[in-house]
Amino acid sequence: MPMLEVRNLTAGYGDIPVVRDVSLSVDEGEILLIGGENGAGKSTLLRAISGFNAPASGSVTLSDRNITGLPPEISAREGLRLVLDNHRVFPELTVHDNLRLGQASGRADPDALARALEEIHAVFPILKEKRGQRARDLSGGQQQILALGQAFVARPKVLLCDEPSMGVAQMLLPPILAFLRKWAESGTAVIIVEQHLKVTQPYTDRALIISRGEVALECRSSDLNSRLEAWRRERMAEHA
Amino acid sequence: MTASNTLVATQPRAAKARSFDSDRQQLWIAVVLLLITGVVPSFLGGSYWQHSFQLMNIYIAVTILQNFLFVDAGQKSFGQGVLLGLGAYGLAIASGIHGLHIGLGMLIGIGAATLGGLVFALPALRVQGFHLGFVTLSAAVVFPQLLLQLDDLTQGLNGISMPPHGLTDPLVLGIDGLTMLTTAMPIASLAFHYVMRNSRLGRRMRTAAESPEAARSLGISPGKMSSLAFLLAAIGTGICGLLFVPAVSFVTPQSFLMDVSFVFFFAVVVGGRGQLLGPIVGIWAVFTIPNILLVDLAEYKPLIYGFITLAVVILFPDGIVGTIEGVRSKRRQSGGGERAFHLTSLTRWLSNLRDHEVSADAPPIISLKGATKRFGSVVAVDHVDFDLRPGEIHGLVGANGSGKTSLLNILNGFSRMNEGSYRFAGRDVARASAPVIARLGLGRTFQTPRIFPSFSVWNNVRVGLDARDSALPDELAHILDEMRLDHENAKPALLSHGQRRLLEVVRVALKDSRVVLFDEPAAGLSQEEREEFSQLIYLLSRKLGTAVVLVEHDLDLVWSIADHITVLETGALIAQGTPKDLAGDPAVQHLFVGGEHANA
Amino acid sequence: MLGDLFNNFDMIMTILLRGAAVGSLFAIIAMSFNVVHNATGILNFAQGAIFMLGAFGAYLFANRVGFSIWIPMLVVVSLGIGLFTAAQGWLTLKPLRSSVEQNSWIISTMSVSVIIAAILTLNFGVFGNMVRGPVPRVELFGVRTPGAFLLAITAMFAWYFALRWFLKRTFHGLAISALSQDFDAARAAGLNVRHLQLLAFGISGVIAGSVGFMVAPMISVSPDAGLRYVLNGFVAAVVGGIGNNTGTLIGGPLVGIVAAFTAFYIGGAYQDLASLMLLVMILMFLPQGLFGRAAARRV
Repeated sequence: MPMLEVRNLTAGYGDIPVVRDVSLSVDEGEILLIGGENGAGKSTLLRAISGFNAPASGSVTLSDRNITGLPPEISAREGLRLVLDNHRVFPELTVHDNLRLGQASGRADPDALARALEEIHAVFPILKEKRGQRARDLSGGQQQILALGQAFVARPKVLLCDEPSMGVAQMLLPPILAFLRKWAESGTAVIIVEQHLKVTQPYTDRALIISRGEVALECRSSDLNSRLEAWRRERMAEHA
Repeated sequence: MTASNTLVATQPRAAKARSFDSDRQQLWIAVVLLLITGVVPSFLGGSYWQHSFQLMNIYIAVTILQNFLFVDAGQKSFGQGVLLGLGAYGLAIASGIHGLHIGLGMLIGIGAATLGGLVFALPALRVQGFHLGFVTLSAAVVFPQLLLQLDDLTQGLNGISMPPHGLTDPLVLGIDGLTMLTTAMPIASLAFHYVMRNSRLGRRMRTAAESPEAARSLGISPGKMSSLAFLLAAIGTGICGLLFVPAVSFVTPQSFLMDVSFVFFFAVVVGGRGQLLGPIVGIWAVFTIPNILLVDLAEYKPLIYGFITLAVVILFPDGIVGTIEGVRSKRRQSGGGERAFHLTSLTRWLSNLRDHEVSADAPPIISLKGATKRFGSVVAVDHVDFDLRPGEIHGLVGANGSGKTSLLNILNGFSRMNEGSYRFAGRDVARASAPVIARLGLGRTFQTPRIFPSFSVWNNVRVGLDARDSALPDELAHILDEMRLDHENAKPALLSHGQRRLLEVVRVALKDSRVVLFDEPAAGLSQEEREEFSQLIYLLSRKLGTAVVLVEHDLDLVWSIADHITVLETGALIAQGTPKDLAGDPAVQHLFVGGEHANA
Repeated sequence: MLGDLFNNFDMIMTILLRGAAVGSLFAIIAMSFNVVHNATGILNFAQGAIFMLGAFGAYLFANRVGFSIWIPMLVVVSLGIGLFTAAQGWLTLKPLRSSVEQNSWIISTMSVSVIIAAILTLNFGVFGNMVRGPVPRVELFGVRTPGAFLLAITAMFAWYFALRWFLKRTFHGLAISALSQDFDAARAAGLNVRHLQLLAFGISGVIAGSVGFMVAPMISVSPDAGLRYVLNGFVAAVVGGIGNNTGTLIGGPLVGIVAAFTAFYIGGAYQDLASLMLLVMILMFLPQGLFGRAAARRV
């Protein structure tokens, strides 16, 4: 029984169908990598799963519960957490307050917050050092860590992570991905949407490539490089 | 010629709509109603009713103009009562107090109202929405205070008495001149509204109201449109003000309290925003009926119209007429379906044209040098050189945030460069506004097609024609005639996204643009639609010599039709060349899934 | 010349004080605008009528009473108005779908304003009522000043700091701030958007209502006066930059002082005209206000 199951999802903005007939599933403890070119519909897919745009057809099931089309604040309370791309945090709030708002989707429990903060601070001490600073004064990478930290506080069942590498210095990427890996192994189902497939792939279990809004390729992450290389050669031959 | 005729005739045509123009129908119903309420009281006698209906008809005329201003021009004004008062006081002061000739007095009245409209129109050049609401509301509050205060001029609370003289003598069939005028005024206002709506100017006004961006890209300046709308409405309302004087024979500040402005505004909403019949129904609902029913309870009136308006906004946001109209049009809806909007005849015509020859050494139509755009510390476009030749399809690719859209916005004048030079068709346009560049021959589409739901499909196309300067080739005119017949009454709500996209392309093509910028046109198109789209822009470039800039994430599409490709990264140009050259360029590989960053 | 100035010193102080006091009210209205606007994007046209409800609350329940009744009544009336405003917010935020345009809230908040004024008129007539409060007159800069003036200025600062504390320190306040800073991220984090927006409406009602109650002795308590406050409050908000509470501390008193000088030198009836002209000038030349927010974060 997968933690998150998406069946034949078609969705977009208004009546613009950006994603067509996509199916996927993730188990607990597993990381699914979704790749694809700019504009292929990866972000739209995540936004449709979490309810920012209501799907035109198809279903989204979160551990037995049908959450298709529920608004994002409701699905967040059900345990599905989307971390938006572009390291979005609340810029005028302090680092600590940003983390605190992680509990907005559930009960405000100071003990649970303290435990979660302890764990995050252990991995990313920078969040402790800068706890009183405004989030807008952090670097892109630090903001990304903060956004993930806020999601971590919520202890979701499913984590959707949109382009964690965007605006993040290359050297910060491995610790972020390692953090996600450890997080997944604690029993969370994780989807990472990413363009930097080569860096991300080793931390993930399965991969799915989207092209023009449809699933173009699905495989184990370890096979991804060779499958992609073959596909790319084919396309380049066409254009050359 | 015959060939194309048969072609057109054999095309599948969308199920023909029963000719149904609800505007025209509403217009006739409205005219009949106005004639009845205008004239019948004269036959029944009783000067009270006659007088009440004269006043009501003046109010209806003001409301009609407000309806035009509110919906067709998108300007919310809470201060139309002020303009009415300016018209009335202008006349009363000039002729009633100072005994100037009545004609001169009328001119002064209209002039005063026009000036008032100008005061509203000025801020409308800069701000919209609630800002303007507050400005006009303030004016409505301040106006009666001023009338009281400037008592040297206005005789303050005493008001100005100005009997209607000969206007109340029966002329024909016992109907007096004043009755005729007060009946004619709303009818004339309605005719004005109807004619405006069906005119090029009216369509352009509404385009500006619905999407200022789209308007600017079609060469329309939204600020000018809204100011013009304010002026037109002010002149009409000023004329209503002239009639107000003989209708009540007496003007006092009490006649122009803010409540009057509220009545006009609320009547538009209750009647149905944008419906021609709306103002008549609206005035009956918020003014006439409460007046009749609550003759002795006048103080309840604001409560009644406040509640009616609130209830209508929450329960029937389209208003009384709009709600009925919605139910009717649902039953009559037409124009949907897979191929509801198709271009078969248009592409056929284009393919039969001779190739547009562009000599190899033709000067570039767009020449951008060292273009730089900064937002604070972020450099969105970083010293980009960009040339575009007539008839060329130029792909612009790069990751999100690489500066493609910023560059597009520089090209069409939405944003101004911090540095660099920009020549369009040999003219320096580095500091030109979007409408100016659009009029020079640049068109663009948007990530979400700008299709106006209140227009029929045909009128959506027509906005492009409205922006066209050159004459239409005969055959194209013929094809458009067919299109008009098919889509004159069809509502765009039923078109799929792909069809809307094509509609927008046709609009921009009909504008006769020498350059067209496409902003992610293929997003959301099906495979079939992508092919139709790429065929269309290919034909535009080859047959009409249109130069095309294509910002698109679908790299296969770009590589298949572009003549040249420019690759941007963090605002800077990192590669430029033919698709073939670039396919092997390491700088471009990372754009393709699985490709590596050249610098990683 | 200098002598003139000294002779006029008392008078100028009086005008300044009066302007600052009335301006504080405009600042408070502007703050109550901002609370709702930041959480919802809506400007509540009924805010002036709601302010007037507070003043009528004082007229009805706390006229000529001592502190022992005045203070509990202040709390009860403010909370009641807060609940009322939250209910109004609920109506306003109901998914309004007009096929013609989206800003139906302008009309619904406007009609609520008209309804409140109409109900007050039916019950109390159109004329101004006098309210006597428990705060005594005080001597300030050699000028005998009505206590309500000081109360108004104090209330402005009190609400400013209270709002600041609420928005920065409490969980719900942080959540409302988050809503205004990044709406999508707030939804993704599971913030209960609708409840927070109603809370924002409620708070704006408590602010406007409580101050209306407190300053009833210094204003003409009449149904139509609400419009004057909503308009000048809006001008104050625009001058300070819409959404910016710190800006209202300057914007409000500025508008108040301009109005007070206009009233003294030209005539009382021209106060609102002066505000209108100030509004038009600011909109034409400085649409972002004096302290407008920096351009929204580019994503």
